[in-house]
Amino acid sequence: MRIGNCGPSGVIVMMTTLIALLLGCSKKAAPDQEPKSQHAGPFVIYTVNYPLSYFAQRMAPVGARVVFPVPPGIDPAFWKPTADAVQGFQSASLILLNGAGYARWTRYTTLPRTRIVVTADGCRDGYLHTEQSVRHQHGPEGEHAHSDLACTTWLDLRLAACQASHVRDALLERWPEVKDAVSTGFETLEQVLLDLDARLRTVGKVLDGRPILASHPVYQYLADAYGLSVQSLHLEPDQALSDDDWKELEAMLKQQDAEWMLWEAPPLKRTKLGLDKRGIAVIVFDPAGQAPSDGDFLTVMQANVGRLECAVGVKACP
Amino acid sequence: MKDSIFLAWRYLRHHRAKTLLLVLSLSVFLGLPLVMRAMSRATQESLLSRAEATPLLLGKKGSSLDLVVEALYFQLKGAEPIAEADVDAINATELALGIPIRTGLTARGFPLVGTSLDYFPFRGLHIAEGRGLAMMGECVLGAGAARGLAIGPGDALLTSPSTLFDLAGVYPLKLHVVGVLEPTYGPDDEAVFVDVKTAWVAEGLGHGHQDLKDAGPDLVLRRNEGSVTANAKLPQYNEITESNVDSFHFHGDASGYPVTAAIVVPHDEKSGILLRGRYVDAPTRQLVRPAEVVDSLNKQIFRFERILEIVVWTVGLATAVMFVLVMVLSWRLRADELRTMTRLGCSRWKAAQIMGSEIVIMVGASVLLAGVFGIVMAQYGETWLQNLILRGS
Repeated sequence: MRIGNCGPSGVIVMMTTLIALLLGCSKKAAPDQEPKSQHAGPFVIYTVNYPLSYFAQRMAPVGARVVFPVPPGIDPAFWKPTADAVQGFQSASLILLNGAGYARWTRYTTLPRTRIVVTADGCRDGYLHTEQSVRHQHGPEGEHAHSDLACTTWLDLRLAACQASHVRDALLERWPEVKDAVSTGFETLEQVLLDLDARLRTVGKVLDGRPILASHPVYQYLADAYGLSVQSLHLEPDQALSDDDWKELEAMLKQQDAEWMLWEAPPLKRTKLGLDKRGIAVIVFDPAGQAPSDGDFLTVMQANVGRLECAVGVKACP
Repeated sequence: MKDSIFLAWRYLRHHRAKTLLLVLSLSVFLGLPLVMRAMSRATQESLLSRAEATPLLLGKKGSSLDLVVEALYFQLKGAEPIAEADVDAINATELALGIPIRTGLTARGFPLVGTSLDYFPFRGLHIAEGRGLAMMGECVLGAGAARGLAIGPGDALLTSPSTLFDLAGVYPLKLHVVGVLEPTYGPDDEAVFVDVKTAWVAEGLGHGHQDLKDAGPDLVLRRNEGSVTANAKLPQYNEITESNVDSFHFHGDASGYPVTAAIVVPHDEKSGILLRGRYVDAPTRQLVRPAEVVDSLNKQIFRFERILEIVVWTVGLATAVMFVLVMVLSWRLRADELRTMTRLGCSRWKAAQIMGSEIVIMVGASVLLAGVFGIVMAQYGETWLQNLILRGS
């Protein structure tokens, strides 16, 4: 006997299929609950400036990779990373920040907090501020100022040694099995930094508060640590000074009878001649925020201190 | 046997309305208790598995259920916030990892969740399309949110204003979608994830505007040495871009900024016990085990489910009685038909076979319908029931 297309045997087949489907759908795919390590593989250290990169390289044992991703010619303090560069930092085993508001980009990017070490935090009671920023008010929020902190902390070489000690602690915490290598690396670095610190203190004593001009407001920690009386302008070594710049300089000279001016790099010949005419000697003191084309952090600092000693007469000039 | 089934089938097709009514009644009777029980169990398991995957939760002292529901399932319950400093304090103990969770805002109906990068590996969330969060102003969508909003990497998404009629309130922030997560079949699928700093900007705690040193007279009320007072016309950016991101800032101490809760992941069992001990007598904070809170919620659901089952079975019994009554009355009405069949040579046993086949086909069709209902509910019902339970808790 023939049964219609939608006959009872068809119904039974459909029923069985649906029940099987129901059973199949009752259990959903479980999400992967196992947290995956974001930094499996080699130990990678990312840093925001060259001094920290140098400290890490001095102490990190073989196998660790230190990355300082700021391209040459760019001041790391004002670098703006791309999303790819930020993802590089996110993949690091350890991220060394300077502190004191250095590398403003770290405020508006997403970084893994647990892998960040702010090296200058805890090294002194409070950070130094730049010149008074403009206070303002908008809407009903009340008056406020976006005050910036002075951030070239490592120019106080004791503070630099403290930052290096925090790098050491971070390395030891994450890599305790290489304690000896890290500790030895730190001790030699600390010794050199403290020797330079002692020489700068002598310079400070000899200067005894005599004014020094600075081409850029980056020497706050140097001045504070060694008792230097530094007045800053906003001049770039690779740019010619405008008439307004010279007027500002002369106005400053009327207030402060300065004999020296600190520059981050040798100024243009024309600028140097103009300064010579006004009785101001140029002292190049490279903050070394960016990697030098020749030498390393310590050789740059030794050269800086040597030039300062020569200028103020602590040591004979080479 | 085949001929009996054929005759039964032809009879049922002829009396379509009666058959349909009976099949529907039986479907509800068969399907409802089973589906309710399966959904309830699945929901309880799903709630509990997420809670069990969250070792500890730090929040403001108050309703632990509201805290868990808001921080784990992103259902806004108005849980009182703690401060960012509390998360820092957890991390500073070196006993556990603290992951901030900031809820409170939505983006086109989907909860906006401000958190840190640690949240994603903690929950096992992986990027399916695009990339993870890198800059302030970016967001990553859960799979369900991306599907619901029909957007993906490269698109933009506006946060919803918290107070629709407050003209002086916080304006929506335009978020840049940079990634979509793989589906996890949980609350993360329906969320819009941002960095906690972005959440604060969306709430109005941080903002960006042009440098007031260069502001024109139409924007400045007064300008003294070292002080500029702008008027309310000073426009604040409603989108964080590469060119204006530098101008975004927060006022006051960021450690005091609000977070709804902190997921606390102890490094080991001992660390967890030590941490719990530290918060036992905390006057304004509570450190709860979400599994315990959800377990107590499940017990309440179980009690409610028992009551519901009694109601459903009572209704089911009434349906069964009605079915039997309908069949008995139907057979009485068909007495002439049965007599004709007997006269044509059909045995009593064959007649019983035909009647029995009718019942089997109707019950079979009811099971089939209940199955379809079950599949639909298994697909969509769990989320629906979960939302119903969490909103009502």
